[in-house]
Amino acid sequence: MKYKDYYATLGVPRTASADDIKAAYRKLARKYHPDVSTEKDAEERFKEVAEAYETLKDAEKRAAYDQLGAHAPNEDFRPPPGWEQSFGGGAGGFNGASFDDIDLADLFGGLGGFREARQRQRTGPVPGRDFEAAVRISFDQAFHGAELKLDLASTEMGDDGALRRVPHPVTVRIPKGVHAGQRLRVPGKGGPGARGGPPGDLYLDIDVEAHPLYRVDGNDLYVDLPLAPWEAALGTTVKLPTPGGPVDLKVAAGTHAGQRLRLKGRGLARGGAEAGNLYAVVQIVVPGTVTARDRELYGELARNSTFSPRAHFGGYGA
Amino acid sequence: MNVTATEARFIDDDGTCTFVELVHRSGLTEDELRALVDAGALVVLDPSARAWTFAAWSVSVARDAASLRDSFALVDAHSVAVVTRFAQRVEALQRELAALRARTGER
Repeated sequence: MKYKDYYATLGVPRTASADDIKAAYRKLARKYHPDVSTEKDAEERFKEVAEAYETLKDAEKRAAYDQLGAHAPNEDFRPPPGWEQSFGGGAGGFNGASFDDIDLADLFGGLGGFREARQRQRTGPVPGRDFEAAVRISFDQAFHGAELKLDLASTEMGDDGALRRVPHPVTVRIPKGVHAGQRLRVPGKGGPGARGGPPGDLYLDIDVEAHPLYRVDGNDLYVDLPLAPWEAALGTTVKLPTPGGPVDLKVAAGTHAGQRLRLKGRGLARGGAEAGNLYAVVQIVVPGTVTARDRELYGELARNSTFSPRAHFGGYGA
Repeated sequence: MNVTATEARFIDDDGTCTFVELVHRSGLTEDELRALVDAGALVVLDPSARAWTFAAWSVSVARDAASLRDSFALVDAHSVAVVTRFAQRVEALQRELAALRARTGER
């Protein structure tokens, strides 16, 4: 097992008080919180700080950690003889042979879990832990729904008291119409219950990859619809891609830039609820290069048209 | 081997949940949940009822509050409520920004 110096991680001496430890943690948590920090390794540092605090904030865990002695960071070590009997909680304690396979965080995580379990023994059935996992899906998966195989893992204590990584492969069906930022619940796919308690649930935090064409606002979708000036002026019919398949969209004569053409019910559809709409947002696009013939035609239009797009400037001195 | 897929559910499709269920499913204490109600972060469906019930999506709010409490080592219920309200405000602004970007095409 590799040694981690939790005191050094928090920047406090081994004699620090609980208040000092809490203050150091708060300061570092603010500094490295991934939502606010711009530092490159902020997330990693945040996890290290959280792991250190998780152990040092708890008097029992801290005492157990202190008994391990001081070592160089990353130094291979084993707990002193008898350590597992003192802190493993009786009932088998930790199996010494398992120390090579586990992380220091797992060791202390298990210590807390064991104590919690001991406390719950008095109250009968213990529900399983809830699991939470972040899942990133494609836009198409969000639109149509999808079946995903997730390889989850958790740290659990076996009947022999040893801690180990337990794989939790789960196949879940993501309902159609899910949005980024939504949280889904998968009943019964959390940790196993004890003493007849029900299993926990699995919560999925959904993120949806951006689509090159479609933008999402709730159940509504937006897609840019580029039109040539003459298409906008004269009207046309365009083949518009939609997530459910292409449709022929009639564009009325005199359509202007920024206008939103609504395709009812072509947005995200959640089972049993009314589907959102797809809005085609008109953009008037001019050719990047103009041929001699184009120039001639534009010139003729300019000479003969009575249209003034800036007529409303007149009253303001223009 | 046949693998049966389990249906993931939208949290707000699950109807309502009781105060006790919310405590169990979020990991918050009763005091912390009451503070969230006092701060307006959680809305009781019928405040006059003897037993409080909440819309099912409240589980998500409460779990976020528990996560903030743990991340920032918040020790009192009032702090949990205040930070949760700030986080909700940030989320609302993010949603508003995403909606504006969707409508205008600004990235």
